[in-house]
Amino acid sequence: MQLAGKIALITGGASGIGRATAMLFAREGAAIVVADVNQHSGQAVAAEIARADGRAFFEKVDVTSAADCRRVVERTIRELGRVDILFNNAGIIRRSSVMDLSEDDWDLVMAVNVKSIYLLSREVIPHMEKQGSGAIINTASGWGLAGGAKAAVYCASKGAVVLLTKAMAIDHGPRIRVNCVCPGDTDTGMLRAEAQQLAEDSQRFLAESAKRPLGRVGNPEEIAQAVLYLAGDASSFVTGTALVVDGGGLAGAF
Amino acid sequence: MRGLLAKRVLITGGASGIGAATAARFLDEGSVVCVLDRDVVALHRIQQELPDLAGILAADVTNFKQVTGAFSGALRLMGGVDVVINNAGISIRHNFLEITPEEWDEVIAVNLTGVFYVAQTAAKHMMGRGSGVILQTASTNGIMGYPYYADYNATKAGVIELTKSMALELAPKVRVCAVAPGYVLTPMQRTEYTDAMLEEVNQKIPLRRHAQPEEIAALFAFLASDDAQYMTGHVYTCDGGEIAGGLASR
Repeated sequence: MQLAGKIALITGGASGIGRATAMLFAREGAAIVVADVNQHSGQAVAAEIARADGRAFFEKVDVTSAADCRRVVERTIRELGRVDILFNNAGIIRRSSVMDLSEDDWDLVMAVNVKSIYLLSREVIPHMEKQGSGAIINTASGWGLAGGAKAAVYCASKGAVVLLTKAMAIDHGPRIRVNCVCPGDTDTGMLRAEAQQLAEDSQRFLAESAKRPLGRVGNPEEIAQAVLYLAGDASSFVTGTALVVDGGGLAGAF
Repeated sequence: MRGLLAKRVLITGGASGIGAATAARFLDEGSVVCVLDRDVVALHRIQQELPDLAGILAADVTNFKQVTGAFSGALRLMGGVDVVINNAGISIRHNFLEITPEEWDEVIAVNLTGVFYVAQTAAKHMMGRGSGVILQTASTNGIMGYPYYADYNATKAGVIELTKSMALELAPKVRVCAVAPGYVLTPMQRTEYTDAMLEEVNQKIPLRRHAQPEEIAALFAFLASDDAQYMTGHVYTCDGGEIAGGLASR
């Protein structure tokens, strides 16, 4: 078990990549704090981990709220004693150009995808510094490295996550490692929501998304494995990196 | 790491440094491992150190016939090759203005032409079988500029582009990734430093130290494993944060 005895706090842990990572980390021996706005699905993830003899609790967290972020970290320390891994994974998308994006949606996407990392990390870092170690992993995106159509604020937010990651890696070494994972299109509820936002047929949208060297979209478990690598001892010299897991989508012209 | 048990792994430049550490790591994972190197003395030393190796292969990667001959040897010794760690490389510290044509040719021959010979030979075998993983040693020097290693840096940038182009042509059967180590404290590297020089370099790295060769080996093991089966066509750094900001970070 690669994470035996570790404590991991996972935002957006109720579904998609966050859920897959929570399940994988639990199998690898970590105790999991599932943080999400979605109470029903979040409690289900914690219950599923507990049924498999793992250790987990759910905390309802709006990652754009400083008070919520403080509360979940306080509870983690109170009940589990420490925090070894922070997976800043909560994220949303709006498939719009700047011309058809509302100001409220701009603010919301930037708050959920970027500000949340600042709010949670500043609660967690003092504990990791005191412990003498810690790993922070942020979910960026292939669209944090390259532009995409009708995803202006999403691309802006994920580009910000990539450079926030690098800046934090410089500030918080050598005890804390900070990395991000850049998934390509991954088979989650968010991918299907994109088809809906673009008013496209979901089957056709998924088929388009699969057009990349490996010929398919990723599955959440494959992204979770990359997050596990960044969280564990195998990556002990890796910090400030943007780890791309996209079936070769950004390798070049295809 | 899942899926490494009984995998047949060929490692070039495998007799010392990162290559030797990678050989040891794959043996730990239960893989079958052959190492290729042009340094026969080092080959015999690694055979003593790692008695579980399936074999050693003496070959110079700059010689196409020696590469294909050694690859056939690996096939005979292991019954196939599932993973290639395309790692052999050299560097020469010199001012750009003083690089001789002979030095330039030597660095290009080992780090770029040799990498191509090994990659193409392996890819032909793997495409015929329908699967495989090729991992190539690039460097943070292939991503950022560094003085006194212009030729080396150019070859490592070349390895990264070769990796991406191969990944596109060989997908979905064969995955191709590059690994970019930063400063690694191999025994050879340690002898080139005074204690003061080592400390000065360490202070520029966010993790405040060099990598151990085993930490680069861990990245190779992850990328070769089934845990990384959606990863192809990219360069993965293991550099203690060295290029997160580089010279602009202070």
